[in-house]
Amino acid sequence: MRRVGVMVGTVLLAVITGTPSAVRAGAQTFNTALPVGEGNFVLREQLFYRRAGDDPTAADRDTEAWGSVSILGYGVTSDLTLFGALPIAVKSLEATTPSGARVARDTRGIGDARLFARYTVFQDDAPGRTFRIAPFAGVELPTGRDDDRDRLGRLPRPLQLGSGSWDGFGGVVATWQTLAYEIDVQAAYQVNTEANGFEFGDVARLDGSLQYRLWPRQLGPGVPGFLYGTLGANLVYRQENEVAGASDPDSGGTQVFLAPGLQYVTKRWVLEGALELPVAQDLNAYGLEDEVIARVGIRVNF
Amino acid sequence: MMRALRAAALSVPLLIVAATALADATQYRLQVNGLACPFCAYGIEKELHEIAGVSAVDTHIKDGAVIVTMQDGATLDESTARKAVKAAGFTLGGFREHEDAE
Repeated sequence: MRRVGVMVGTVLLAVITGTPSAVRAGAQTFNTALPVGEGNFVLREQLFYRRAGDDPTAADRDTEAWGSVSILGYGVTSDLTLFGALPIAVKSLEATTPSGARVARDTRGIGDARLFARYTVFQDDAPGRTFRIAPFAGVELPTGRDDDRDRLGRLPRPLQLGSGSWDGFGGVVATWQTLAYEIDVQAAYQVNTEANGFEFGDVARLDGSLQYRLWPRQLGPGVPGFLYGTLGANLVYRQENEVAGASDPDSGGTQVFLAPGLQYVTKRWVLEGALELPVAQDLNAYGLEDEVIARVGIRVNF
Repeated sequence: MMRALRAAALSVPLLIVAATALADATQYRLQVNGLACPFCAYGIEKELHEIAGVSAVDTHIKDGAVIVTMQDGATLDESTARKAVKAAGFTLGGFREHEDAE
């Protein structure tokens, strides 16, 4: 059962913590592409649902995670933006035990919070378009419980809402935006550390997002709302987890997702939704494959 | 009938005062480079509204133009406008008095 939990948790933790992305129209699957004006705030509230399964083993594991991620961004200057992100989630696992019984385990509460900053190091503005490059860095705090229990005992570590460890991450994001479309590309790496005998594998990812203005086709005077069609692409590589210093062969691997979606953008708020669909999954040993990830959210400027 | 005439008589001076105020209000046209989505416009308008003497800010995203209307007798200088646009995260590409106000 412990091994089952380890494999499940690797997948679920990634959804809840996400990756940092900054305030333009911005990508849906990462948050670092949001620069915020000096003295301004942006609040992003995103609801998510993730399901994984397709277990080749007799355990026939199925997992689900759903919840919300609240992200608050503050523009210290026009170049420096600080972010805080707090997930709240429900995570559940169903599996068949060697005796043939089907067991369900779940937990709910706050997950690990993230604090990060992005700084725009290059900016090239012209009428109707901009190009920006911004490195970012942050830390994931052990705010989620990592010792939750149910009637069967302590939940497997990865099924816990928190990792228990202080984990650093960083990367760089580039944005090219015109009145017709926006492209965001991000490369990120997270170094996970050990806590209480368990360590999640490090995570490297490459994320891209295209937003294309579907409506209005022709721009008139003023500031009309824009309806964008969006397409995200995410390449995620995870190292194997370590349990008591030994690698867990059933964890880690590479996944590629495509995320079609829609985004309606006004001056004060953004309404958005996307489905992340796995198009390639090369997971180690008996890792669980993602089936679908859905995200809907709203963003407000103030 | 008399009531209608009285109302009309009262309205005329008010209209004259309003028209005079509008005629005296100076407007500026700011060319804002980097402005490429509706969500970006909020920050620029907020920064410009915080400048003393500004009474209205209207963004036209297609042209990257922001029209700033000043209160009676107030003026806006280019360096103040540049600073506000920069604080919002954009670049001032042009600044001139708006012809419609003349």
